[in-house]
Amino acid sequence: MLSNVTLLCFFASYLCALALEATRLWVKSAVVRWAAIGFASAGFVAHMAYLLTRASAADLPPLLSSTHDWLLVLAFLAVVIYLFVSVLDRNLGFGLFLLPIVVLMVGASRFVNQSTDARLSAVRSWGMLHATMWVLGAAGVIIALVLSVMYLVQHRRLRHKTLLQDGLELPSLERLGRLNWWAIVVSVPLLTLGMATGVGLSLIESPVRNSVRLSEPSIVISLLLWMGMMGLFVWLLVAPRTPGKLVAWRTMWACGFLLVTLIILEIFSQGGIHGVRENGEDVEAVMGHDLSRSESLAALHRERQLARTIRVPQGDSSRLHRGAKDS
Amino acid sequence: MNVQVVYCNHQTADLSVREKLAFASEAELLRAYDALRARFPASEHVVVSTCNRVELYTAQEAAGDAPSTRELAQFFSEFHDLPIEAFLGDLLARTGTEAVRHLFDVACSIDSMVLGESQIVSQVKSAYDIATKGNANGPLTNALFQRALTVSRRVRTETRLSEGRISIASVAVGEFGRNIFDRFDDKTILVIGAGEMAEETLRYLQNEGVGRIVVVYRTPENSQRLVHEFGGQAQPWADLDMWLGRANIIISTTGADRPIVDAERFRKVRRRGAGEPVFILDLGAPRDFDPAVAEVDEGVFLYDIDDLERTCAQNRAARTTEIARARDIVEEETARFMHDVYHKATGPIIQRLRERWHDVSRQELELLFRKLPDLDSNDQQAIERTVERIVNKLLHPPLETLRDEARDGTPHGLLDAVRRLFHLH
Repeated sequence: MLSNVTLLCFFASYLCALALEATRLWVKSAVVRWAAIGFASAGFVAHMAYLLTRASAADLPPLLSSTHDWLLVLAFLAVVIYLFVSVLDRNLGFGLFLLPIVVLMVGASRFVNQSTDARLSAVRSWGMLHATMWVLGAAGVIIALVLSVMYLVQHRRLRHKTLLQDGLELPSLERLGRLNWWAIVVSVPLLTLGMATGVGLSLIESPVRNSVRLSEPSIVISLLLWMGMMGLFVWLLVAPRTPGKLVAWRTMWACGFLLVTLIILEIFSQGGIHGVRENGEDVEAVMGHDLSRSESLAALHRERQLARTIRVPQGDSSRLHRGAKDS
Repeated sequence: MNVQVVYCNHQTADLSVREKLAFASEAELLRAYDALRARFPASEHVVVSTCNRVELYTAQEAAGDAPSTRELAQFFSEFHDLPIEAFLGDLLARTGTEAVRHLFDVACSIDSMVLGESQIVSQVKSAYDIATKGNANGPLTNALFQRALTVSRRVRTETRLSEGRISIASVAVGEFGRNIFDRFDDKTILVIGAGEMAEETLRYLQNEGVGRIVVVYRTPENSQRLVHEFGGQAQPWADLDMWLGRANIIISTTGADRPIVDAERFRKVRRRGAGEPVFILDLGAPRDFDPAVAEVDEGVFLYDIDDLERTCAQNRAARTTEIARARDIVEEETARFMHDVYHKATGPIIQRLRERWHDVSRQELELLFRKLPDLDSNDQQAIERTVERIVNKLLHPPLETLRDEARDGTPHGLLDAVRRLFHLH
């Protein structure tokens, strides 16, 4: 039954939750609030089932599976935060800021590479560390982005001396500024570790197989984005008395640009940073484009089991599989 | 149940009258309850005495025991040692459904000077508690006041009558200050001048856990008074620029005839400071801060009396739109309460009438069965059922009439007639 859950199930649930959160701007009702939480929870359960099904089919944790799964894990973390905050604070208009990003990520995951990256599973511990650091760092970036947007909305409201709109209660500028600062200060080191482990990963792989080339445009763009975040990080540390609005603007641009660029890269660069290239072919190509997604995952799973049984290198097992298909 | 209220409030009587009729302390109220019990022993009493109203509720089982308005006014006169003519014209009286509705209006804050204020609920509850302590209330007033508190809760839950702050100081601190700062205990508050509004705002800030207070003075007397009341330190006028730069919150009410701080002066001050957000409450009229001060930098949040009053008016308007919904709830709850009361009043009579007729039918059936010993049990049961149906059919019209009459109030005349016709004493 769990295998029947599709991306559309939780995408639609999150979209409904977002619509209900928007409704709260005009209709102040506990029913609407709980309906939004209910839809988000339903999406959360479907989301979890989807990730578990894929992880089990690929015999890999979602973080190591594919960019598609990685993006969904990130969205999943954002939903956890949304549910936690929404249940704790009934007045805070947090969902209106966070759910659009969740919807964007789930929507984007439809268009990114869904094939499993075999290289990450080959060096599992490094791969796990790399993916975990990146996903936590990216979650921090999303939080910083949301907080900075909330800061700017609150700042504008206070400068224009307008009343709070129902359903859009926001924390004080002081609290938003402080949380924003911490989100950046925590997420940038995590992104840095993610970056460093990614470089380490490619160095470990290089003697045995063709690895990611550091000169690839996607890697260069990612490095530039990281440098931008690092610049923001250093600036926050050395200039603690900077006006909060300036911090919020810079954070919003830096984090928003990082997120959007990463997603666009993943969609348009045939696999993005992790575009799997084995002598010019990715895993999906290796296994044949005519296979459906679930078939390809199952085939990869069988391939791994076979590789473990006959104790041959992963690349050779791919050839074995190809030979079997040809025959 | 009979209920009456004699009252005066901010709508009917001047403060000079209300303060004379008020019961200033719990001890005075307890003495009043002793006097009321002695004077009207068949009645239950609850007095609601606040700065905006003095209300005396009385309730009795028998209509004949109800004191008249004149008698209750006489009590006020003798207790407070006032000539009755001094306040009789300011007193209003309500009885029955109207008295119940009035109490519900009061408890829901529909009748308050500040519509939707929450203080009145605790004042009504406190009045009820003191009456209990003074053994002045009983089952009737218990039911009435408990229902009033329930209705008040319902109105607060189902309407937005109590939402939004509506005083200048509470709007300044609650709607704006709390959205700029997370806490106030680590903030420096600069007070320029010592007007009433500054005092009220400081009182709100004190409730929020205010940090350091600095009062810059032109006249030492006023600043000393503020410092004495709220703590903090008084500083001479010459140091104003230094404190303008250090303060996180500035409250100004100097009464000067032109702005004391213009944009240029404040820009210089901000350059020397840490650039942190500053929350300025210009409560002076004319204004103490030039409006251009707000444009000095993005960290300046300047609010003048018009900005705050505009917000108060919006909140007041929002509350006013809720009055109709609140009144609907009060109306519904009043009808339900009165129905419960009347139902309780007619219930015992109906019960007794039913029992009497069934007793008579049972006695007659026993006689009949003794005279006809050949009847088997099936025949006896059939006769019993027939007689019971006859009794019920005969009882139905009078009971239905009683119930119908009870919807509009206790049908004392009808109840009395039923009692006398069927000897139900």
